[in-house]
Amino acid sequence: MTAITKQHELHEQILKSFQAAIGDENVKDNSATINAYYGDWLPPKVLGMSMPPEFVVLPNGTMEVQAVIRICNRYKIPFIPVGSNQWSLTGSPNRPHTVLIDCKRMGKIHEIDDKNMYAVIEPLCTLAQIQAEAYKLGLYIGSPEASATASAIGGHVFQGMWGVGYRLGVAYRNILGIEWVLPSGEILRTGSFSQDATDGFWGEGPGPDLRGMLRGYAGAMGGVGMVTKMAVKLHPYPGPKVWPVEGTIPNQTSTLPEDRFKWYMVKYESLEDAIKFMYEVGRAEIAGVVQKWPTVYYIWWWANSCEQYWTEWKKRTFQDNVKNAVGVCLWGFTSGKQLEYEKRVLEDIIEETGGKPVKQEVQDMWVARTANNWIRDTHGSRMMRPSGTFLALRLNTDTLQYSIDHVKQGYEWVNKFSPPILDSDGPDWIGGYDFGHFGFGETDFPVEKDPAVLGDLLGKLLEMTKQDVQNGLENGVGPFLGGVYHAMAAPVFGYDRLLRGIKKAIDPNLVSNPPHNIPIEG
Amino acid sequence: MAKEMLLPKDPRYLKYPLEAPFDQEKARWIAFNCSRCSVCKWVNSWQVKSAKYARICPQHTKYLYDSYSGQGKCDLALSIIDGKMKWGDDPEIKDILFKCTMCGGCDAMDKNIRDAELVKLFRWMRAEYIKDQGLLPEHKALADSLKQYDNVWVQPRSKRNAWAKELKELGIKDLNKEKAEVLLFVGCTYGLSQELKGTILNIAKILKANKIDFGILGESEMCCGSPPDKLGLTDEFERLATANVKKFNELGIKTLITPCAGCYGTIRVEYDGLPVKKNFEVLHVAEYLEKLVKAKKIKFRKELPVTVTWHDPCHMGRMGRPYVPGKDLEGVYDEPRTLLKAIPGVELVEMERIREYAWCCGGGGGAFTAFKDFAQWTARERIEEAKDTGASMIVTACPWCESNLRAGGIGMEEKMEIKNLFDLMTEAL
Repeated sequence: MTAITKQHELHEQILKSFQAAIGDENVKDNSATINAYYGDWLPPKVLGMSMPPEFVVLPNGTMEVQAVIRICNRYKIPFIPVGSNQWSLTGSPNRPHTVLIDCKRMGKIHEIDDKNMYAVIEPLCTLAQIQAEAYKLGLYIGSPEASATASAIGGHVFQGMWGVGYRLGVAYRNILGIEWVLPSGEILRTGSFSQDATDGFWGEGPGPDLRGMLRGYAGAMGGVGMVTKMAVKLHPYPGPKVWPVEGTIPNQTSTLPEDRFKWYMVKYESLEDAIKFMYEVGRAEIAGVVQKWPTVYYIWWWANSCEQYWTEWKKRTFQDNVKNAVGVCLWGFTSGKQLEYEKRVLEDIIEETGGKPVKQEVQDMWVARTANNWIRDTHGSRMMRPSGTFLALRLNTDTLQYSIDHVKQGYEWVNKFSPPILDSDGPDWIGGYDFGHFGFGETDFPVEKDPAVLGDLLGKLLEMTKQDVQNGLENGVGPFLGGVYHAMAAPVFGYDRLLRGIKKAIDPNLVSNPPHNIPIEG
Repeated sequence: MAKEMLLPKDPRYLKYPLEAPFDQEKARWIAFNCSRCSVCKWVNSWQVKSAKYARICPQHTKYLYDSYSGQGKCDLALSIIDGKMKWGDDPEIKDILFKCTMCGGCDAMDKNIRDAELVKLFRWMRAEYIKDQGLLPEHKALADSLKQYDNVWVQPRSKRNAWAKELKELGIKDLNKEKAEVLLFVGCTYGLSQELKGTILNIAKILKANKIDFGILGESEMCCGSPPDKLGLTDEFERLATANVKKFNELGIKTLITPCAGCYGTIRVEYDGLPVKKNFEVLHVAEYLEKLVKAKKIKFRKELPVTVTWHDPCHMGRMGRPYVPGKDLEGVYDEPRTLLKAIPGVELVEMERIREYAWCCGGGGGAFTAFKDFAQWTARERIEEAKDTGASMIVTACPWCESNLRAGGIGMEEKMEIKNLFDLMTEAL
């Protein structure tokens, strides 16, 4: 028997196993299907670094997911779980024989408990869906910078740097009970779900809190199995039951009720002054969103076409008006009076810190069309419009103060390689979270979607990251890429043994989206 | 001295190549720049009003796999163009391409975040598939009928617009012989369907009663070209469309009005791509009558105590205006609503997915002819959504929507009446 025949027989055997477990129609291996599961906006497919999966499977529910994962273990073939499949950077297969677990049949919201303020959801549920249902009950869940079409479970287990993380905590801190199929196929239930509880309000234990194992620092990227059900926190929401929208695509605007929401755009002479202002706002424990967006974010989210993007950019409308500006959205969570109080506090802080309001016409351009994206949806894919793609340099999760040096070094690097990096006006995104106790810095910049350019820049990014590792990761590390990140960062901080130990214990056959969450082969 | 701005080298990133012919290069550009953001699968997040009605794409909602989505079709196009796959490699390619209603839901959502034309890409893909693999057997009768009879319903030309002969007393002008300001372009379905001919009779009566100088083309009217356009039968579309424009131009009409959403979108938007240009205005009958109602020329005398919901036909709405990157995706949204609200007793309640976010009826893109199960499943989803409003009637103004919603409703436990806007108006006159 030739190797090809053997491989074919094995393929047929695996196919039949999946069909028996979840039904014929829920397994596909044909070229037209698998071809739709390895593309993305970033380089893997563009640079030929990813490949189609061998199978795409659509299980329904925890037991079927368990059956699929057990089959993967039996045949020692890798699997990748994906959520709503909004982008798939690390969800793109990178090795042969991969099984893509698509959760299109797992989109139920099992429950929204408005008294205890949580929702029990399945992996396909998008944040936009949960938001819509939560609003009706006066409750709220955030939206990450990517978009509210992201899977809520996917966002929570990854990172969840959503705008309202300033007030409500980043998404991964909003995880309660979890139902989770481990890479070995065992089912693990944590929090309330572990006690046969029908509700999901309790997130802790039993025993050590396992949620860190699921997420780690930069997301497990499907490297530790698949979450099939999760209870997530919801928060009080003073907004309307239906999100207010006016106008038509691509020029919609959104204005939240003035008695409960108020956006301020405050400009400073320097980045340091802007960050000082963010600290002061946090110290006063006011506001719902506090963000220092880079200039390029304004135009990315605001422009309604490529032509408008580059025309407005050439006019320098945003470069001349929002450099070192901070966006603050005050929420009257409990009452209009709270909003009035917070306005007075904020205006005092602005005066004390020497802030100046951004020119009204620029604020008007930005707020109605885009600012509320940080509450409902960021329409993140607009970042690709003017050049086909963007790249992210180092990311840091540390303090606001630390983020200053981080982003400054980031745009030094960007300047060094401009061109081919396109105009970006020093991309310095700094987000404030947990009332400013936690700062996040990221350097995003537009690049033309040209394989040669991207390949070259990625090589340079990798070199820089190696240098960062040698420097003890003083300045953060390259984009969150799960296993790639942990392979570099873990030895610096000395947590590689712990992570590898976990991976070996729960994934003995190394089937759960290797090399994530840390490579342990070879 | 200010540093020179670093702009993309490829001019297509500076300005979307709207005017460029839709060839393989343009198809690749659109497919290559798909970022797999998946907005093509969901109603724009700002507009999602419930978990239940958050999906925009009937095909993806029904068939689940990403290959059945705008994103999946971009991946497929790219693979074909780059030589990684061939049209004949996989029999499922046929389903992926043709079990799609070409409703433009994905296209509209996509236009919120990038400059692209997904429906045009799908049309190009269908045309290329047909060149390589031939026409779908399920569409053969329709295609033959177009060639032989210039209509999609396998009916002889002599039967077209036979309704006008029944109404000789109205004295509707035959524009082959007389002049008029307005051409009532009836379309294949209203012009040949026994089930739907009442609607066109009602429209003609309303126009006559209001002394509108209009006429029809009778037996010589030809298909607008919408079905071949959607199916990828490019040559057939160009034959019909070119002949039509030439003829309409020769008539010396000021305005062409049509009650069919498919005809409307095609004549208003798709004819713009022809070498020969229109010298007349194109309006849907709803737009035309709305002006008369607003001018108080049409007065409703009877009260109709009914709660209705309006179904936006895709080709009257998001597909009913030429695309200009950055400009609002407008359509005929307000006019039919104004007409409904003007009828005494009628209460209009809205579904969650309306206007550019409307869920398709399922009848377009050749699905009604070739994939009835899918078409009717899509219709049932829409009927469910309508039921959730508390309405007892879905009103629309497209013969395809009307027929497919009726077909989809067969067998459903709770009945929902499907009514044409102009029939409802007539009842109230």
